[in-house]
Amino acid sequence: MNNAYNFAFFDEGSKREIRRATLKAIAIPGYQVPFASREMPIGRGWGTGGLQLTLSLIGKEDVLKVIDQGSDESVNAVSIKKLVKDTTGVQITDHTSQATIIQSRHRIPEVPLRTDQILVLQVPLPEPLRYFEPSEHETKKLHAEKEYSGAWLMLFEQIMKYGSMTTGADHPVMVHGRYVMAPSPIPRFDNPKMDENEALILLGAGREKKIYAVPPYTRIVSLDFEDYPFEGESFHGKCCRLCGSEGVFLDELIDEATGETFYQCNDTSYCCEILNEAEKAGVN
Amino acid sequence: MKLDVVHDLQSVYRKLVDSTSRPGLISDLGKEAALLDGENPAGCSRSILLLALTLLDPEVTFKVYGGDAEAFEKEINQLTFAKAVQADKADYLILLKDAGAGSLEHAIEMADPGTFINPHKSATIIAETGIITEGNKLLLSGPGIQTSTGINIELAGNWIEKRNEKNKEYPTGVDLVFVDRNHQLLSLPRTTQITESREVEKEWVM
Ligand SMILES: [Zn+2]
Repeated sequence: MNNAYNFAFFDEGSKREIRRATLKAIAIPGYQVPFASREMPIGRGWGTGGLQLTLSLIGKEDVLKVIDQGSDESVNAVSIKKLVKDTTGVQITDHTSQATIIQSRHRIPEVPLRTDQILVLQVPLPEPLRYFEPSEHETKKLHAEKEYSGAWLMLFEQIMKYGSMTTGADHPVMVHGRYVMAPSPIPRFDNPKMDENEALILLGAGREKKIYAVPPYTRIVSLDFEDYPFEGESFHGKCCRLCGSEGVFLDELIDEATGETFYQCNDTSYCCEILNEAEKAGVN
Repeated sequence: MKLDVVHDLQSVYRKLVDSTSRPGLISDLGKEAALLDGENPAGCSRSILLLALTLLDPEVTFKVYGGDAEAFEKEINQLTFAKAVQADKADYLILLKDAGAGSLEHAIEMADPGTFINPHKSATIIAETGIITEGNKLLLSGPGIQTSTGINIELAGNWIEKRNEKNKEYPTGVDLVFVDRNHQLLSLPRTTQITESREVEKEWVM
């Protein structure tokens, strides 16, 4: 631990401001609370919103996991872990079940979260209505009036164009029957995991200076139409080449030698855990 | 003060996060409160002081009800540099244990509920109440609660009715944080629905 820094990098005033915004966000699920986002010693667009949440939450007893698109070892995840470890000395883990705080970009882990865990999601674009409304003043008004016909129209146009809802990641959700929210660029596969989750989910957008939250046991509904119901990415009939898992989010890869397509768990620490368990079972 | 303003207030904050994201989950501030032994500015409880130190600074305003409110406001201002203002302008309304009957109802009525555009610009009421325990007199439901949960709280008056009135136009509303003399903390964000259970009365009649 580097003692030249404040504990958890920030001065106490910065933490207090983020903490007050976070408590308001928890009290108004899905509503984007503005906060005075700080400059961070990592590049913009590298999860400064999530990092600020993590630093405002973390204490000496916490165990932190950081994942970037399913990987604990990406440059982004490693630099965030280093900054937090250098300024707090907390324990770092790859195991979802051992972490008390999990900061993630683009994924919700495959291992179900528990009541004693907090998931922090990094958000590049917090405003789900920005796609058709460039003005912040106007989008705030639309949220205030619960005027979401534009959000549905946007999805409807995609159906007209492509014959299905090909929103890819960041498919908008309705929170507690009140706010339309960007779940961050998680795949549609992960959207249902937000619904009635046991863990508190906090979302932070550094560049856009917004914090929002999904408390545990909160109703989250992905926007859809009766004729075109919401569907996550399907991996039906496919499994991970390494660990054999089905029903998880898989990356499609191509074997360069044979040209064959194969699949692998996107959540690499989950994949390792399954492999290790299988190995142990094999030894016994 | 033996209190470590970095680590002990982080711990208070996390308990506040736990209790606010899971209304009905009672957090114990006893460990942190014990570190304030001897500190007792203007007769305020140590849990109230902990919450003030966790949340207040020059960027926010507050108002105190009860006891020697003026002396306590001066004390809190010196500790946190937050500014004391009138009730309807305050970010935090703090009710001490000897605040008179009707003070909580008054605070709820006066508190800023925010606007539809900016519901986060609403006030938070922090009050010292009678004993808070798990129980079945008040049933809570809403975000953070799996189906429903129950609590008992020694707190007279028609504050529930006043709160319902104040919070009827969600997302505007006020959030409540209660602490008792045993440093038990209960948080009731605006999304929590409170139902008064009639069970106790029924038993009595039978
Ligand atoms: Zn696998």
